[in-house]
Amino acid sequence: MNSVIETRNLTKVYRTGRSETHALDSLDLTVREGEIFGYLGPNGAGKTTTIRLLLDLIRPAAGSARVLGLDVNADSVALRQRVGYLPGELNLWKSLTGLQVVRYLGRVRGMTNLSYAHSLAERLQLDLTKRVRDYSSGNRRKLGLVLALMHKPDVLILDEPTGGLDPLMQQTFNQMMREVRAEGRTVFLSSHVLSEVQAICDRVGILRDGQLKAVETVERMTHVDFRWVNVQLRDPATAALRERVASIAGVTSVEAENHGLKLRLHGDFDPLLRALNDVYVVDVRVESPSLEEIFLAFYGNNGAVPQQAARAKEAV
Amino acid sequence: MAGAIFLETLRRHWRQMIYWGAGLGLLGFYVLVVIKDVDMLEQYAALAERMPPALLQMLGMGDVTSLATPEGFMSFGFFGYTLLVLAVYAVMAGLNVTANEEEDGILDALLAQPVPRWRVIVEKLLVYVLASAGILAVSFLFMVAGTQFSEIPVSLSRMLEGSINMLPSVWLMIAFTAFAAVVFRRRGTAVMVASVFIVASYFIDFLGEAATGSLADALRAVSFFSYYNPNAVMVSGLDVGSMAPLLAVTAALVAGTLWFFQRRDVGV
Repeated sequence: MNSVIETRNLTKVYRTGRSETHALDSLDLTVREGEIFGYLGPNGAGKTTTIRLLLDLIRPAAGSARVLGLDVNADSVALRQRVGYLPGELNLWKSLTGLQVVRYLGRVRGMTNLSYAHSLAERLQLDLTKRVRDYSSGNRRKLGLVLALMHKPDVLILDEPTGGLDPLMQQTFNQMMREVRAEGRTVFLSSHVLSEVQAICDRVGILRDGQLKAVETVERMTHVDFRWVNVQLRDPATAALRERVASIAGVTSVEAENHGLKLRLHGDFDPLLRALNDVYVVDVRVESPSLEEIFLAFYGNNGAVPQQAARAKEAV
Repeated sequence: MAGAIFLETLRRHWRQMIYWGAGLGLLGFYVLVVIKDVDMLEQYAALAERMPPALLQMLGMGDVTSLATPEGFMSFGFFGYTLLVLAVYAVMAGLNVTANEEEDGILDALLAQPVPRWRVIVEKLLVYVLASAGILAVSFLFMVAGTQFSEIPVSLSRMLEGSINMLPSVWLMIAFTAFAAVVFRRRGTAVMVASVFIVASYFIDFLGEAATGSLADALRAVSFFSYYNPNAVMVSGLDVGSMAPLLAVTAALVAGTLWFFQRRDVGV
């Protein structure tokens, strides 16, 4: 499979006066043709910096990047003809209507037929006759998606694409991305929301403090065998109950507070349910681990791969 | 597609051009119709002769005797001040080239399209070059109308030349602001630098003219106001020799703007 995005030693340093911030540190990344690649990391990890470097909006301190075989700086115009981009913070001309923005940027692209843009807007339930200033953040996001997709680019580079979209629209977005993949096109999307990445991505790159810590398949990355369980009881949680639950194999970090128990559960639910059979349970809520927790579970506190995780990785 | 940015910027800007032209034109119209006859001009000239020379320089009346002529009066009453008014427009236009859209985060959307950075600058600058000419054309039309109601015989061709004479200075101010915006990146800083440049140029010029042989006089060559002499143009016609240095500096500033913008990060 051909690589569509390829960076080598890509480094970005922001200088403010005498201070330097290493936003991206020697990034070596390869995104393959026809995949949906999730670029995952907490805020400030360097995701947006990477994307802006790929679009030649900013210039690297060192290293190089190629998209579709084209150098992002030397061939930037030819490259942007084949790339669709959705910025993390989409700002547009507030006095223009959505349609005027689509027409304007379509003309800049040399597009004469905007029927696909209209069909995208229809699918996203976006009213193009409204002015940008009257759009909600979700509708502005939809307009951004129309602008990114309307020329059917070979590569989509999307920075936090679903922020502000309601769950229904997120489903539509996911479906659209799957269609893009089915057509053999490539999607590179950044996110700090694990569920978003889980839903559609084939592979995930994890970025932290400007460094790429890992590139994994989604299955491997998200197969972290624990979740947070909140048990709501009718009666106050006793110390004895807390001790009993804490003694279950696979249960850690048990906290008892008034009528509630919060715990971290590894493995099956059955031992926990059995331990609770003599108390009245009002509610049980299960939360998936956060991205940061998965990261820590998988890679340890300093980002190094712990032995257990390394074994798991080798086994997959 | 080449020209798309030019056309869109022009589409959003032409009304502003008409408003500015009409505003300036109304001022010119008023100056023309307010003078009842040539005797009144001579009274103005006599009054001006009694004023301190430095004050006269500051008010743009270097040659008091020409004030008694219709063309000299138009130079004092309209063309002398209009450039300062247009300085406000020029700074606003210069900011519109990159600074406003960059600071508002809009430039990302534009530069994510297959368009080279230089084209964004060139197409937008072209709009403001044309728009400033349009402003002066509209204001000239108002002045032409004013001559129909005026009792003083002002040469239309001289007024046209006076209007054309303003263009190199306006273009220079636009180019300087655009240059400051790409170098300093921040709208506020660019406004401050451009304002200092314009005000300092104005003061260096009038102080230098008032105090011959002084440092300010020696510095006059660096003030673009010293190349803008509306009185001489209204009396003797356009002086290409004075316009050429302004156009040359404008071209250099545009080249500098393109060079800087091509090489730096956008929107950081």
